[in-house]
Amino acid sequence: MKPLNLIALLLFLGGAVWALTRSDRAVREIQNAYFSAMTPFLKSGSELETRARAFLQETKHSKELEAELETLRPELGRLRLYENRCRTLEEENAQLRHALDFKKATHFEVVASRVIRRNPSTWWQTVEIDAGSKRGVGTQLAVLSNDGLVGKIDRIDNGGERSSVLLLTDEKCQVSAWVEGSPEVGILSGQRGGFDGDPVLRLRFLSPNAAVRPGQRVFTTGRGGIFQANILLGEILSVEKGALDSEALVRPSVNFADLGAVFVVLSADS
Amino acid sequence: MIRYSITTILLLLAAFVVQQFLPAFTGMHHSRILLVQLVFLCCAVTVGQPTMLLLAFIGGFFWDAQCALGPHGGDPSVYTQQVENLRFGYSVLLFGGMGFLMQGIQPLFKQGKWQFSALLSGIAVFLYLAAEYAIISFVRGGFFLNRPTLLQMLFTSLLTMLFSPLLFWLLFRIAGACDHSINPEAGRNRRRRAF
Repeated sequence: MKPLNLIALLLFLGGAVWALTRSDRAVREIQNAYFSAMTPFLKSGSELETRARAFLQETKHSKELEAELETLRPELGRLRLYENRCRTLEEENAQLRHALDFKKATHFEVVASRVIRRNPSTWWQTVEIDAGSKRGVGTQLAVLSNDGLVGKIDRIDNGGERSSVLLLTDEKCQVSAWVEGSPEVGILSGQRGGFDGDPVLRLRFLSPNAAVRPGQRVFTTGRGGIFQANILLGEILSVEKGALDSEALVRPSVNFADLGAVFVVLSADS
Repeated sequence: MIRYSITTILLLLAAFVVQQFLPAFTGMHHSRILLVQLVFLCCAVTVGQPTMLLLAFIGGFFWDAQCALGPHGGDPSVYTQQVENLRFGYSVLLFGGMGFLMQGIQPLFKQGKWQFSALLSGIAVFLYLAAEYAIISFVRGGFFLNRPTLLQMLFTSLLTMLFSPLLFWLLFRIAGACDHSINPEAGRNRRRRAF
Protein backbone atom coordinates (compact mmCIF):
# COMPACT_ATOMS: atom_id res chain seq x y z
CA MET A 1 0.00 0.00 0.00
CA LYS A 2 1.27 3.45 -0.91
CA PRO A 3 2.28 5.59 2.13
CA LEU A 4 -0.22 8.30 1.16
CA ASN A 5 -3.06 5.76 1.00
CA LEU A 6 -2.06 4.34 4.36
CA ILE A 7 -2.02 7.77 5.97
CA ALA A 8 -5.44 8.54 4.42
CA LEU A 9 -6.84 5.24 5.72
CA LEU A 10 -5.52 5.90 9.23
CA LEU A 11 -6.97 9.41 9.18
CA PHE A 12 -10.30 8.04 7.94
CA LEU A 13 -10.42 5.43 10.71
CA GLY A 14 -9.47 8.07 13.28
CA GLY A 15 -12.29 10.30 12.00
CA ALA A 16 -14.77 7.43 12.10
CA VAL A 17 -13.81 6.58 15.70
CA TRP A 18 -14.11 10.27 16.62
CA ALA A 19 -17.63 10.39 15.08
CA LEU A 20 -18.67 7.13 16.75
CA THR A 21 -17.68 8.38 20.19
CA ARG A 22 -19.70 11.63 20.09
CA SER A 23 -22.14 12.08 22.96
CA ASP A 24 -25.89 12.63 22.38
CA ARG A 25 -25.45 16.31 23.12
CA ALA A 26 -22.59 16.68 20.68
CA VAL A 27 -24.63 14.85 18.02
CA ARG A 28 -27.52 17.31 18.56
CA GLU A 29 -25.09 20.22 18.12
CA ILE A 30 -23.77 18.70 14.90
CA GLN A 31 -27.34 18.18 13.67
CA ASN A 32 -28.25 21.77 14.55
CA ALA A 33 -25.28 23.07 12.60
CA TYR A 34 -26.15 20.81 9.67
CA PHE A 35 -29.80 21.89 9.51
CA SER A 36 -28.88 25.56 10.02
CA ALA A 37 -26.71 25.32 6.92
CA MET A 38 -29.47 23.48 5.10
CA THR A 39 -32.35 25.81 6.09
CA PRO A 40 -31.94 28.41 3.28
CA PHE A 41 -32.06 25.62 0.67
CA LEU A 42 -35.02 23.94 2.33
CA LYS A 43 -36.91 27.23 2.57
CA SER A 44 -36.39 28.17 -1.05
CA GLY A 45 -37.16 24.61 -2.11
CA SER A 46 -40.43 24.61 -0.15
CA GLU A 47 -41.39 27.98 -1.64
CA LEU A 48 -40.75 26.69 -5.15
CA GLU A 49 -42.80 23.59 -4.41
CA THR A 50 -45.71 25.72 -3.10
CA ARG A 51 -45.58 27.96 -6.19
CA ALA A 52 -45.54 24.96 -8.50
CA ARG A 53 -48.55 23.47 -6.74
CA ALA A 54 -50.44 26.76 -6.90
CA PHE A 55 -49.68 27.02 -10.61
CA LEU A 56 -50.92 23.50 -11.25
CA GLN A 57 -54.10 24.18 -9.31
CA GLU A 58 -54.73 27.37 -11.28
CA THR A 59 -54.34 25.60 -14.56
CA LYS A 60 -56.91 23.00 -13.60
CA HIS A 61 -59.56 22.92 -16.25
CA SER A 62 -62.56 25.14 -15.47
CA LYS A 63 -65.05 22.50 -16.64
CA GLU A 64 -63.56 20.07 -14.20
CA LEU A 65 -64.09 22.62 -11.46
CA GLU A 66 -67.67 23.21 -12.57
CA ALA A 67 -68.43 19.52 -12.44
CA GLU A 68 -66.85 19.37 -9.01
CA LEU A 69 -69.04 22.28 -7.88
CA GLU A 70 -72.15 20.51 -9.10
CA THR A 71 -71.20 17.41 -7.12
CA LEU A 72 -70.41 19.41 -4.04
CA ARG A 73 -73.65 21.39 -3.91
CA PRO A 74 -75.84 18.52 -2.67
CA GLU A 75 -73.01 17.50 -0.35
CA LEU A 76 -73.05 21.00 1.13
CA GLY A 77 -76.76 20.74 1.84
CA ARG A 78 -76.25 17.40 3.52
CA LEU A 79 -73.40 18.74 5.64
CA ARG A 80 -75.50 21.72 6.71
CA LEU A 81 -78.08 19.31 8.05
CA TYR A 82 -75.33 17.44 9.90
CA GLU A 83 -74.01 20.71 11.29
CA ASN A 84 -77.40 21.58 12.75
CA ARG A 85 -77.62 18.14 14.29
CA CYS A 86 -74.10 18.52 15.76
CA ARG A 87 -74.95 21.89 17.26
CA THR A 88 -77.96 20.36 19.02
CA LEU A 89 -75.75 17.54 20.31
CA GLU A 90 -73.11 20.03 21.45
CA GLU A 91 -75.66 21.98 23.46
CA GLU A 92 -76.98 18.80 24.96
CA ASN A 93 -73.43 17.72 25.81
CA ALA A 94 -72.70 21.05 27.50
CA GLN A 95 -75.85 20.75 29.58
CA LEU A 96 -74.95 17.21 30.65
CA ARG A 97 -71.40 18.27 31.59
CA HIS A 98 -72.83 21.04 33.68
CA ALA A 99 -75.23 18.63 35.30
CA LEU A 100 -72.39 16.28 36.18
CA ASP A 101 -70.53 19.22 37.70
CA PHE A 102 -67.35 18.78 35.74
CA LYS A 103 -64.77 21.11 37.18
CA LYS A 104 -63.32 21.70 33.76
CA ALA A 105 -63.59 20.09 30.40
CA THR A 106 -60.49 18.11 29.48
CA HIS A 107 -58.51 20.03 26.91
CA PHE A 108 -55.07 20.41 25.37
CA GLU A 109 -53.17 23.57 24.65
CA VAL A 110 -51.93 22.97 21.14
CA VAL A 111 -49.96 24.60 18.35
CA ALA A 112 -51.32 23.95 14.88
CA SER A 113 -48.73 23.24 12.19
CA ARG A 114 -48.34 21.82 8.73
CA VAL A 115 -46.30 18.83 7.60
CA ILE A 116 -43.70 20.23 5.23
CA ARG A 117 -41.99 17.09 4.05
CA ARG A 118 -41.04 13.54 4.90
CA ASN A 119 -37.39 13.13 5.82
CA PRO A 120 -35.40 11.28 3.17
CA SER A 121 -34.27 8.22 5.07
CA THR A 122 -35.06 4.60 4.35
CA TRP A 123 -35.48 3.16 7.81
CA TRP A 124 -36.57 6.03 10.06
CA GLN A 125 -40.12 7.36 10.00
CA THR A 126 -39.92 11.10 10.54
CA VAL A 127 -41.60 14.17 9.08
CA GLU A 128 -40.79 17.84 9.34
CA ILE A 129 -43.37 20.39 10.53
CA ASP A 130 -43.39 24.19 10.30
CA ALA A 131 -43.51 24.87 14.05
CA GLY A 132 -40.48 25.18 16.29
CA SER A 133 -39.24 26.71 19.50
CA LYS A 134 -40.48 30.17 18.44
CA ARG A 135 -44.01 28.87 18.92
CA GLY A 136 -43.22 27.09 22.16
CA VAL A 137 -42.55 23.65 20.69
CA GLY A 138 -39.95 21.54 22.50
CA THR A 139 -38.65 17.99 22.20
CA GLN A 140 -40.62 15.00 23.52
CA LEU A 141 -44.00 16.67 23.04
CA ALA A 142 -46.93 14.70 21.67
CA VAL A 143 -48.15 15.45 18.14
CA LEU A 144 -51.78 14.78 17.23
CA SER A 145 -54.03 14.95 14.22
CA ASN A 146 -57.81 14.97 14.14
CA ASP A 147 -57.77 11.18 14.07
CA GLY A 148 -55.39 10.45 16.93
CA LEU A 149 -51.74 10.30 17.91
CA VAL A 150 -49.20 11.03 15.17
CA GLY A 151 -45.95 10.83 17.13
CA LYS A 152 -43.63 12.99 19.18
CA ILE A 153 -41.21 15.83 18.59
CA ASP A 154 -37.71 14.46 18.12
CA ARG A 155 -35.64 17.50 17.16
CA ILE A 156 -36.06 21.27 16.96
CA ASP A 157 -34.23 23.30 14.34
CA ASN A 158 -31.86 26.02 15.49
CA GLY A 159 -33.88 28.71 13.74
CA GLY A 160 -36.89 27.80 15.88
CA GLU A 161 -39.24 27.56 12.91
CA ARG A 162 -39.24 23.84 12.20
CA SER A 163 -39.12 20.58 14.05
CA SER A 164 -38.87 16.92 13.28
CA VAL A 165 -41.59 14.49 14.35
CA LEU A 166 -40.86 10.83 15.03
CA LEU A 167 -43.95 9.02 13.76
CA LEU A 168 -45.86 6.41 15.70
CA THR A 169 -45.08 3.95 12.90
CA ASP A 170 -41.37 4.04 13.77
CA GLU A 171 -40.07 1.19 15.89
CA LYS A 172 -38.42 3.70 18.21
CA CYS A 173 -41.64 5.55 19.07
CA GLN A 174 -43.03 3.68 22.07
CA VAL A 175 -46.32 4.56 23.74
CA SER A 176 -47.87 3.21 26.92
CA ALA A 177 -51.34 2.08 25.84
CA TRP A 178 -54.55 0.52 27.21
CA VAL A 179 -57.26 -1.41 25.46
CA GLU A 180 -60.80 -0.09 25.65
CA GLY A 181 -63.14 -2.23 27.74
CA SER A 182 -60.37 -4.30 29.31
CA PRO A 183 -57.75 -3.91 32.03
CA GLU A 184 -54.99 -4.67 29.52
CA VAL A 185 -52.04 -2.27 29.35
CA GLY A 186 -49.04 -2.63 27.05
CA ILE A 187 -46.42 -0.80 25.03
CA LEU A 188 -47.36 0.18 21.49
CA SER A 189 -44.73 0.81 18.81
CA GLY A 190 -44.21 0.67 15.06
CA GLN A 191 -42.71 -2.31 13.32
CA ARG A 192 -39.36 -2.57 11.61
CA GLY A 193 -39.98 -2.44 7.89
CA GLY A 194 -43.72 -2.24 8.50
CA PHE A 195 -44.49 1.03 6.77
CA ASP A 196 -45.46 -0.34 3.40
CA GLY A 197 -49.11 0.12 2.40
CA ASP A 198 -51.12 0.22 5.60
CA PRO A 199 -48.73 0.28 8.53
CA VAL A 200 -49.53 -1.95 11.46
CA LEU A 201 -48.40 -1.30 15.03
CA ARG A 202 -47.41 -3.83 17.71
CA LEU A 203 -48.96 -3.78 21.16
CA ARG A 204 -46.64 -5.82 23.38
CA PHE A 205 -46.48 -6.98 26.99
CA LEU A 206 -50.19 -7.76 27.36
CA SER A 207 -51.04 -10.47 29.91
CA PRO A 208 -50.81 -14.10 28.64
CA ASN A 209 -54.58 -14.54 28.62
CA ALA A 210 -55.41 -11.03 27.49
CA ALA A 211 -59.15 -10.67 26.98
CA VAL A 212 -58.87 -8.48 23.93
CA ARG A 213 -60.50 -8.99 20.57
CA PRO A 214 -60.27 -7.43 17.12
CA GLY A 215 -62.12 -4.15 16.80
CA GLN A 216 -61.38 -2.87 20.30
CA ARG A 217 -59.87 0.59 20.36
CA VAL A 218 -56.49 1.40 21.89
CA PHE A 219 -55.73 4.62 23.80
CA THR A 220 -52.74 6.18 25.56
CA THR A 221 -52.54 5.55 29.30
CA GLY A 222 -50.85 8.88 30.07
CA ARG A 223 -48.01 7.06 31.86
CA GLY A 224 -44.40 7.51 30.84
CA GLY A 225 -44.22 11.28 30.87
CA ILE A 226 -44.56 12.01 27.15
CA PHE A 227 -48.10 11.36 25.94
CA GLN A 228 -51.27 12.59 27.60
CA ALA A 229 -53.96 10.07 28.58
CA ASN A 230 -56.83 8.87 26.40
CA ILE A 231 -55.50 9.82 22.98
CA LEU A 232 -56.76 7.41 20.34
CA LEU A 233 -54.03 5.22 18.87
CA GLY A 234 -55.85 2.68 16.77
CA GLU A 235 -57.91 -0.47 16.63
CA ILE A 236 -56.93 -4.06 17.38
CA LEU A 237 -56.56 -6.21 14.28
CA SER A 238 -55.46 -9.52 15.78
CA VAL A 239 -54.11 -11.01 18.98
CA GLU A 240 -51.30 -13.53 19.36
CA LYS A 241 -51.15 -15.23 22.72
CA GLY A 242 -47.85 -16.43 24.14
CA ALA A 243 -46.71 -18.34 27.21
CA LEU A 244 -45.36 -15.30 29.02
CA ASP A 245 -47.22 -12.45 27.38
CA SER A 246 -49.51 -11.63 24.49
CA GLU A 247 -49.10 -9.35 21.53
CA ALA A 248 -51.69 -7.58 19.43
CA LEU A 249 -51.45 -6.00 16.02
CA VAL A 250 -53.06 -2.58 15.89
CA ARG A 251 -54.18 -0.56 12.88
CA PRO A 252 -53.34 3.12 13.56
CA SER A 253 -56.23 5.57 13.59
CA VAL A 254 -54.16 8.13 11.68
CA ASN A 255 -53.58 7.87 7.94
CA PHE A 256 -49.81 8.38 7.85
CA ALA A 257 -49.73 8.48 4.06
CA ASP A 258 -51.80 11.66 4.06
CA LEU A 259 -50.59 13.84 6.89
CA GLY A 260 -51.51 17.49 6.50
CA ALA A 261 -52.31 19.57 9.56
CA VAL A 262 -51.03 18.34 12.91
CA PHE A 263 -51.14 19.73 16.44
CA VAL A 264 -48.30 19.81 18.94
CA VAL A 265 -49.57 19.46 22.51
CA LEU A 266 -47.84 22.07 24.66
CA SER A 267 -49.69 21.26 27.85
CA ALA A 268 -52.77 19.41 28.92
CA ASP A 269 -55.24 19.79 31.73
CA SER A 270 -57.09 16.71 32.75
CA MET B 1 -6.74 16.72 -10.27
CA ILE B 2 -7.25 18.93 -7.22
CA ARG B 3 -9.90 20.97 -9.01
CA TYR B 4 -11.73 17.75 -9.93
CA SER B 5 -11.50 16.42 -6.35
CA ILE B 6 -12.89 19.66 -4.93
CA THR B 7 -15.72 19.56 -7.49
CA THR B 8 -16.66 16.02 -6.43
CA ILE B 9 -16.87 17.19 -2.82
CA LEU B 10 -19.12 20.08 -3.87
CA LEU B 11 -21.21 17.69 -5.95
CA LEU B 12 -21.68 15.44 -2.92
CA LEU B 13 -22.77 18.42 -0.80
CA ALA B 14 -25.20 19.49 -3.53
CA ALA B 15 -26.61 15.96 -3.54
CA PHE B 16 -27.53 16.40 0.13
CA VAL B 17 -29.65 19.43 -0.78
CA VAL B 18 -31.36 17.74 -3.74
CA GLN B 19 -31.99 14.58 -1.71
CA GLN B 20 -34.30 16.57 0.59
CA PHE B 21 -36.73 17.06 -2.28
CA LEU B 22 -36.72 13.56 -3.72
CA PRO B 23 -39.92 11.86 -2.61
CA ALA B 24 -40.40 8.18 -1.88
CA PHE B 25 -42.28 6.16 -4.49
CA THR B 26 -45.25 4.90 -2.50
CA GLY B 27 -46.30 2.54 -5.29
CA MET B 28 -42.88 0.89 -5.21
CA HIS B 29 -42.77 -0.10 -1.56
CA HIS B 30 -41.69 3.39 -0.44
CA SER B 31 -38.42 3.06 -2.30
CA ARG B 32 -36.49 6.20 -3.16
CA ILE B 33 -33.51 7.35 -5.16
CA LEU B 34 -30.51 7.55 -2.82
CA LEU B 35 -28.79 10.39 -4.62
CA VAL B 36 -26.17 11.03 -1.94
CA GLN B 37 -25.02 7.41 -2.03
CA LEU B 38 -25.12 7.37 -5.81
CA VAL B 39 -23.00 10.52 -6.17
CA PHE B 40 -20.52 9.11 -3.68
CA LEU B 41 -20.31 5.73 -5.45
CA CYS B 42 -19.85 7.28 -8.89
CA CYS B 43 -17.22 9.70 -7.60
CA ALA B 44 -15.45 6.94 -5.65
CA VAL B 45 -14.59 5.04 -8.81
CA THR B 46 -13.15 8.13 -10.49
CA VAL B 47 -10.81 9.37 -7.74
CA GLY B 48 -7.84 8.06 -5.80
CA GLN B 49 -8.13 6.34 -2.44
CA PRO B 50 -7.39 9.40 -0.25
CA THR B 51 -10.10 11.48 -1.98
CA MET B 52 -12.51 8.54 -1.84
CA LEU B 53 -11.98 8.25 1.93
CA LEU B 54 -12.50 11.98 2.35
CA LEU B 55 -15.76 11.73 0.38
CA ALA B 56 -16.80 8.70 2.46
CA PHE B 57 -16.20 10.61 5.67
CA ILE B 58 -18.13 13.68 4.50
CA GLY B 59 -20.98 11.58 3.07
CA GLY B 60 -21.36 9.30 6.09
CA PHE B 61 -20.98 12.11 8.60
CA PHE B 62 -23.61 14.36 7.02
CA TRP B 63 -25.94 11.44 6.31
CA ASP B 64 -25.94 10.59 10.00
CA ALA B 65 -26.36 14.28 10.92
CA GLN B 66 -29.45 14.26 8.75
CA CYS B 67 -30.96 11.02 9.97
CA ALA B 68 -29.85 10.44 13.59
CA LEU B 69 -32.73 10.22 16.06
CA GLY B 70 -32.71 11.69 19.54
CA PRO B 71 -32.76 9.82 22.83
CA HIS B 72 -35.92 7.92 23.75
CA GLY B 73 -37.07 10.11 26.61
CA GLY B 74 -39.95 9.24 28.91
CA ASP B 75 -40.03 7.39 32.19
CA PRO B 76 -37.62 4.40 32.12
CA SER B 77 -39.81 2.56 34.66
CA VAL B 78 -42.64 2.54 32.08
CA TYR B 79 -40.53 2.10 28.95
CA THR B 80 -38.35 -0.66 30.34
CA GLN B 81 -37.26 -2.06 26.97
CA GLN B 82 -36.18 1.02 25.09
CA VAL B 83 -35.31 0.70 21.42
CA GLU B 84 -31.62 1.28 20.84
CA ASN B 85 -30.33 3.99 18.55
CA LEU B 86 -27.65 3.35 15.99
CA ARG B 87 -24.46 5.15 16.95
CA PHE B 88 -23.78 8.39 15.16
CA GLY B 89 -20.99 7.80 12.65
CA TYR B 90 -21.81 4.23 11.58
CA SER B 91 -22.55 5.50 8.06
CA VAL B 92 -18.97 6.75 7.74
CA LEU B 93 -17.79 3.14 7.88
CA LEU B 94 -20.54 1.96 5.52
CA PHE B 95 -19.66 4.65 3.01
CA GLY B 96 -16.00 3.67 3.33
CA GLY B 97 -16.86 0.03 2.66
CA MET B 98 -18.91 0.94 -0.41
CA GLY B 99 -16.09 3.14 -1.65
CA PHE B 100 -13.54 0.32 -1.44
CA LEU B 101 -15.98 -1.93 -3.30
CA MET B 102 -16.23 0.61 -6.12
CA GLN B 103 -12.48 1.08 -6.23
CA GLY B 104 -12.14 -2.66 -6.78
CA ILE B 105 -13.31 -2.24 -10.37
CA GLN B 106 -11.48 1.02 -10.97
CA PRO B 107 -9.11 -0.67 -13.51
CA LEU B 108 -12.15 -1.51 -15.69
CA PHE B 109 -13.45 2.04 -15.37
CA LYS B 110 -10.06 3.43 -16.37
CA GLN B 111 -10.26 1.31 -19.52
CA GLY B 112 -13.48 3.12 -20.35
CA LYS B 113 -15.86 0.36 -19.26
CA TRP B 114 -18.04 2.55 -17.08
CA GLN B 115 -21.04 0.22 -17.54
CA PHE B 116 -19.60 -2.21 -14.97
CA SER B 117 -19.30 0.62 -12.47
CA ALA B 118 -22.92 1.62 -13.13
CA LEU B 119 -24.03 -1.95 -12.46
CA LEU B 120 -21.88 -2.19 -9.36
CA SER B 121 -23.34 1.05 -8.00
CA GLY B 122 -26.75 -0.68 -7.84
CA ILE B 123 -25.23 -3.71 -6.13
CA ALA B 124 -23.35 -1.45 -3.69
CA VAL B 125 -26.56 0.42 -2.79
CA PHE B 126 -28.31 -2.89 -2.15
CA LEU B 127 -25.42 -4.09 0.03
CA TYR B 128 -25.42 -0.74 1.84
CA LEU B 129 -29.15 -1.04 2.66
CA ALA B 130 -28.79 -4.70 3.62
CA ALA B 131 -25.85 -3.90 5.90
CA GLU B 132 -27.78 -1.02 7.47
CA TYR B 133 -30.78 -3.29 8.08
CA ALA B 134 -28.52 -5.99 9.54
CA ILE B 135 -26.92 -3.46 11.90
CA ILE B 136 -30.35 -2.24 13.04
CA SER B 137 -31.43 -5.85 13.65
CA PHE B 138 -28.22 -6.62 15.52
CA VAL B 139 -28.48 -3.54 17.74
CA ARG B 140 -32.22 -3.86 18.41
CA GLY B 141 -32.48 -7.64 18.34
CA GLY B 142 -34.86 -9.94 16.48
CA PHE B 143 -33.87 -10.40 12.86
CA PHE B 144 -36.82 -10.70 10.48
CA LEU B 145 -36.87 -9.74 6.84
CA ASN B 146 -40.29 -9.52 5.25
CA ARG B 147 -41.05 -9.35 1.55
CA PRO B 148 -41.96 -5.62 1.41
CA THR B 149 -38.66 -4.69 3.08
CA LEU B 150 -36.70 -6.84 0.64
CA LEU B 151 -38.60 -5.33 -2.28
CA GLN B 152 -38.03 -1.84 -0.91
CA MET B 153 -34.28 -2.46 -0.82
CA LEU B 154 -34.36 -3.98 -4.30
CA PHE B 155 -36.39 -1.16 -5.89
CA THR B 156 -34.30 1.49 -4.15
CA SER B 157 -31.12 -0.08 -5.57
CA LEU B 158 -32.61 -0.38 -9.05
CA LEU B 159 -33.99 3.17 -9.10
CA THR B 160 -30.69 4.54 -7.86
CA MET B 161 -28.72 2.49 -10.38
CA LEU B 162 -30.82 3.81 -13.26
CA PHE B 163 -29.46 7.29 -12.61
CA SER B 164 -25.80 6.24 -12.54
CA PRO B 165 -25.19 6.72 -16.32
CA LEU B 166 -26.38 10.31 -15.92
CA LEU B 167 -23.99 10.80 -13.02
CA PHE B 168 -21.07 9.32 -14.98
CA TRP B 169 -21.88 11.59 -17.91
CA LEU B 170 -21.82 14.56 -15.53
CA LEU B 171 -18.51 13.41 -14.03
CA PHE B 172 -16.94 13.08 -17.50
CA ARG B 173 -18.08 16.62 -18.29
CA ILE B 174 -16.71 17.93 -15.00
CA ALA B 175 -13.41 16.11 -15.54
CA GLY B 176 -13.20 17.62 -19.02
CA ALA B 177 -13.85 21.09 -17.63
CA CYS B 178 -11.13 20.53 -15.02
CA ASP B 179 -8.58 19.29 -17.63
CA HIS B 180 -8.43 15.97 -15.85
CA SER B 181 -8.91 12.49 -17.28
CA ILE B 182 -10.83 10.02 -15.15
CA ASN B 183 -10.28 7.12 -17.59
CA PRO B 184 -6.76 7.73 -18.95
CA GLU B 185 -6.28 4.24 -20.39
CA ALA B 186 -9.37 4.61 -22.56
CA GLY B 187 -7.97 7.89 -23.88
CA ARG B 188 -4.61 6.27 -24.67
CA ASN B 189 -6.36 3.41 -26.51
CA ARG B 190 -8.38 5.89 -28.55
CA ARG B 191 -5.23 7.78 -29.50
CA ARG B 192 -3.46 4.50 -30.41
CA ARG B 193 -6.35 3.51 -32.66
CA ALA B 194 -6.29 6.93 -34.30
CA PHE B 195 -2.65 6.37 -35.26
